[in-house]
Parts: sequence; C-alpha cells; structure tokens
Amino acid sequence: MSKIEKLNVVLAGQANVGKSVIFNHLTGLHQHIGNWPGKTVEKAEGTLHYKGYTIDLLDLPGIYSLSTYSIEELVSREYIALQKPDFIINVVDATHLERNLIFTLQLLEMERPMVLALNMVNLLKGKGIEIDFKKLENILKIPVVPVAAIYGKGLTEVLGQGIDLTKKNLKPIPLKYGKEVEKQAEELTSLLEDIDLPHPKRWVAIKLLEKDEEIEKLVKNKRPEISERVKSLCSELERIHGQDSSIIIADERCNLVSWIAKEVMRIVKPRKVSFNERLDNLTCHKIWGYPMMISILGLVFLTIFLFGNWLSSLLAGMFSGWQIGFQSIFGGSLLSSLIWAGMESVFSLIGIALPYILPFYLLLFILEDWGYLARVAFLTDNLMHKLGIHGKACIPLILGFGCNVPACLSCRIMETRRERLITGFLVTLVPCSAVTVIIMGLVGKFVGIGWAFGLYFFAILMIFMMGKLASKILPGEPTELIMEMPDYKKPNLKTVILQTWFRLREFIYIAGPLVIISGIVIAGIHQGGWFPAIANFLSPITVKWLGLPAITGILLIFGILRKELILLMLAVLLGTTNFAQVLSQTQMIVLALVSMFYIPCVATIAALRKEFGWKRALSITVFKIIFAITIGGIASRLLNLI
Amino acid sequence: MKELPLLQVKEQEEVIIVSIVGGQMATKRLADLGLTSGTQIKILRKTLFGPLEIEAKGSRLVIGRGLAAKILVRPL
Repeated sequence: MSKIEKLNVVLAGQANVGKSVIFNHLTGLHQHIGNWPGKTVEKAEGTLHYKGYTIDLLDLPGIYSLSTYSIEELVSREYIALQKPDFIINVVDATHLERNLIFTLQLLEMERPMVLALNMVNLLKGKGIEIDFKKLENILKIPVVPVAAIYGKGLTEVLGQGIDLTKKNLKPIPLKYGKEVEKQAEELTSLLEDIDLPHPKRWVAIKLLEKDEEIEKLVKNKRPEISERVKSLCSELERIHGQDSSIIIADERCNLVSWIAKEVMRIVKPRKVSFNERLDNLTCHKIWGYPMMISILGLVFLTIFLFGNWLSSLLAGMFSGWQIGFQSIFGGSLLSSLIWAGMESVFSLIGIALPYILPFYLLLFILEDWGYLARVAFLTDNLMHKLGIHGKACIPLILGFGCNVPACLSCRIMETRRERLITGFLVTLVPCSAVTVIIMGLVGKFVGIGWAFGLYFFAILMIFMMGKLASKILPGEPTELIMEMPDYKKPNLKTVILQTWFRLREFIYIAGPLVIISGIVIAGIHQGGWFPAIANFLSPITVKWLGLPAITGILLIFGILRKELILLMLAVLLGTTNFAQVLSQTQMIVLALVSMFYIPCVATIAALRKEFGWKRALSITVFKIIFAITIGGIASRLLNLI
Repeated sequence: MKELPLLQVKEQEEVIIVSIVGGQMATKRLADLGLTSGTQIKILRKTLFGPLEIEAKGSRLVIGRGLAAKILVRPL
C-alpha cells in the first residue's frame, strides 16, 4: 500500500470568475466556511480525493490584485507566501481574459507551482472570441487548461496537471517588465539576497518599487539601509517616466497583458446585440430601471412574507401542541420549565430560520447568481452615497428587511472596515420581519395601515439620518464604487443551494447559543417571580417617560430574545388579543416605535460581535436603547397633542 | 485634442484615458482592473446622478461618479 499523500492547494482568481462553482464541484459537501483567524474575511476550505492524493482545497476570496488595498488581498498573499501551497489553481474567466491576466501576472510572481484554469470556454463561441491556448501556455510557461466549470469539464485535468507540477517541483518564472524596472528590480533582488523573508525575493523587490506599505515596513525592520536605496531607485524611475513608481509598475503590467491578449486572442465576428444586452438596456435604464427594481425586489419580499407567515403559523401550531405534551409528561417543576424554555428557544430559532431566512437566502442567491444584485448596486449607488457608503451596501440593507443577522454578516462585501461598520450599524435600524409582525399586528390592525407605513417611512428616514451622522463621525474617506458588471447568466442551482445551506448553518451556529441561553435565563426570571419587580424598576421609563402600561417593561425584556415575542407576550399577559381594549392608539404607536429601535435582538448582537467585536456590538446596543427611549418619549408627547 | 473628465463623455462614445487625477489608492485600484493612461474605453451607460458603466479591455465595469470625475480622457 502506498501512503496517501496530502496536498495543499489554493484556488485564486478575481471576483466572478466561477471560483465558487469550481470549489463546490470539487469538494461538494465536504467543505466548511469560517473566518480567517482574527479577521472578518471568509475562509472556505474543503477536501477531496484524487488519484491517491488527499487534497485540501482552499478557496481564496475573490480579489483583484495582491496589493494591500483590502483585507482580503492582504490575507491571500500572506497565505500564499507563508503557507507555500503545493500548487495554485488560478481561475481565469476566458471571456474577460485581458483583465483577468493582470492578476495572473501578480500570482506568477509569488513563484509557486501554478495551473491556469481557463474557465467559461463554453461561452467563447457565442461571444465571438478565439483563444490560442497553446500560445498562452508558451508565453506564461505554465499549464493552461480549458475548463467549463458549470459542466464540470476540465477540472480533473487541472488537478492532474497540478499534481504533475508538484511532483517535478516546477515553479513558474515571472514575466519580465520594461528595461528600467527590470534593472532596478534585479539590483534590489540581489540586495535582498541574504535577508530572511518568507516571500520570493523578486516579488519583494517589485513590491518595494510599488511602494507597498506592508512590505516596506517588513524590510525596514530588518535592513533600514535597503529602504534608503529603494527610495532613490524609485525616484530614479519616477524621473525617467514622470510618474509615481507604483503607477509605472501597474502600467507596465497592463501593457504586458495587452500584448499577451493581442498575441493569443482574436475577436472573430462583430458582436450582435444579445438578449442579455437588451435585458440590460431595460434593467439598468436610467428611468425604467428603478420601477423594474422595485417590482423585482417587491415580488421577492412579498413571496417571502406570504410563505413565511404561512409556514411560521404552521410551525407555531405544531410546537404549541408539543408544549402540552411535554408538560403532561414532565410536570410543571422549575427544572422542567427551564428545559422547556431551552427547547422553546430552539423552536423559535427554527421558527425564524425555516420560514424567513431560508427563502430569503434562496431568492437572494438566485438574484445574485443571475447577476441582478450588481444591477441593484449600480442603480442605488447614488442613494447610498447620501449615507456615506456606496452601491454595494444596498445588499445588506435589503437583507435586513428579512433578518438583521444575515444582513450583518453580508456587510463583508464592503471593502473597508469603516464602510462595514457604517453598513452594519444601519442594518440594525432596518425593520426586520419580526418587527413587521409588531407593526402590522398592532399599529396596522388597530390604528390604521397609514400609520403602519408611516412607521416604515420613519425608520427609513432614521436610517438616512444615522448614515449621514455615522459617516461624519467615523474617520476616513468614503470609497468610490468600482466593480465589475457581470453578464446575466442562468443561475446555477447547485451553487445557489449550497450557498443557502452554508449560510443557514452559519446563522444557526452564530445565533443559536445566545438565543438558547437567554431563553433559559428569561424563563428563570419568570419562574423566580421577579417580573413584577422588573416592571416596577423600569416603570420610570415605561410609564412616566413613554406613557405605556408597566407590563411593557416585561415585554421589552422578552423582545431582546425575539422581537415578535413583544406582541405574543402582550396577548398572554393581558389575556386578550384585542389590544384596543387595553392600549390607546398613541400607546400602540409608541410601543411599536420603541420595539422597532430599542435593541438589536440577541441573534443580531451575536452577529455584530462576530463581525465587529464585543466593544462595537455593545456600543451599538447601548446607543439603540438610548435612541429608542428618547424617540419614544418624544413621540408619545407629540402624539398626545394630536 | 482637448481633455475632459470621463463624467462628461456621452453614452456610446469611445475615449482614451490621458491621466487619473486621484489619490494613489484610486489610481492603483483602477490599474488593477486594467484602467491606466492609454487605455481605450467606451461609455456604455450613464445614470442620472449615479455611477457610469464602461467597457474596457473586453469587460464591463461600473465606476462611481466621483471617481469618473477624476479620470481625464480625450476623444478617440
């Protein structure tokens, strides 16, 4: 028996090149998605077996370069430099070869064995593009494998070529830049010869000429005199080219890629106006694009709410039946009621996850895979700029209407920490489906639908004001939107389902523990008979300032767990579902308003903690409590004047 | 030939980037996507107050309005 060899392989490529399709195809369900240690950057890993090898496959985040513009880029290049994967699979979108090759050149400089997986070759014909694969191989001096990932074609050959390279330990040779740059890079490389660095020396030299801050620091710590030499080499380059040296390198890389593209690529027929382009003329239209967007998103929301309400009442009926059964078997002792509270929390988690979050993710991933979310970002960029963020932020904000938890987690699509934080904060102000239950069930039903929509409008107004405020307070410049506009394509069902499943699992992992613990704690307080004391303690706020009945203090405690419990417990504690008998219209509006803002639910707090740390999560929580109480009190006074 | 910001170019027109008058960060970012001086681009679509969509090197990119104001181009 030969021993099983383990290989470390990474998938690297720009965004939207079909990396996750390849990853899903190769690893199937044997994958897990987590975070890079200490970073809020997603890390997807999986294992597969091929020809007696066990391959650990790591899907690097989709990035555009190996500079330190974003956290993803830094994480990726450190991984390649330090972990030295056995080989790299560089996934390239064949229909966008030229732009993709810019990243390929940078990867080659990392000097690890590398295979180029030329994906989407099946679409070349339709686009009238011809690529000479052999010639590309000769220029890059690495294996080039044509791949059609959605059909799984070419993937085994990619693995085979990679294993071959590993066996022979064939490392790629970086391509040469212009004469001056090469001369300086050579000098620097030899200066760096005896420094102990994990990165390839030539790569470090190029990065120094590009004025990469991280690498500069690294070298300066070890050999300050080299830093001095770098400065003079850079200014020499700048004198010759009349441009900043970082731009010179980027320019040369672009020129090199343009040359390669000219050598290997041919456009064989003038492109016709395709169906997708016509679709774009409609969906991105400067006027008609907006009603289209509102209709599409409106339809998605309507579907989710109708489906969610149906399934959630079905589940609620089922679970309440179980409670009677549980009590008849285990009795009403303290212990059994605490156990029941824990189980109830699990049910409540299922009661959100299945009816609301599951369809939300499913539909959203279909829209994403189809390519529509990029259009939404395009259309809403202007609006988002008013909040100090850019178009991509509309995706977390839209998600927030379903559930704040996935919305917080999706803030990662923003590039900088500042924008992530602003977006995350704004997301917690978005009325989620649980808040909708309160607004509709209380205000919509007993005060009037106009008032209910008024509350939504108020929430959106607050999001705008807070966005403006947050972008003023937080240091740093707003980033401009730069993104690729993907072509529309048929959503890949397997990718959509896998994505949905992994996200759903993530939700359960993050929210689960906190929801169960707080459920048990609240049940304990209830069993201990401390509710009246709490209601009393909170009465200066609830009764005096907000003008609500004292029992609302208890409701607000329950609401931390799940916001719709505010309404459910109101019915239980008052013994009626006809709230008009016990609350005035003003009180209903104030209660709904406070419920809307007063705290992120525990699951959201857990998500905030995961993304931004305890300090920020608690700051947002405390801010929201003070904010809601202030707004509620003012509203109560104003409404009483009417 | 006179230079003008990309933002002022009309839809469907083709231009060449002359220079980018932005911070280093923005310039690098654009270069990573293949937009450097000398690159030929076509304006595909403009929105009323928001970003614009362009085609360069065979792919389509969306560029924020503020950034488009910093890219100087000249007509082809």
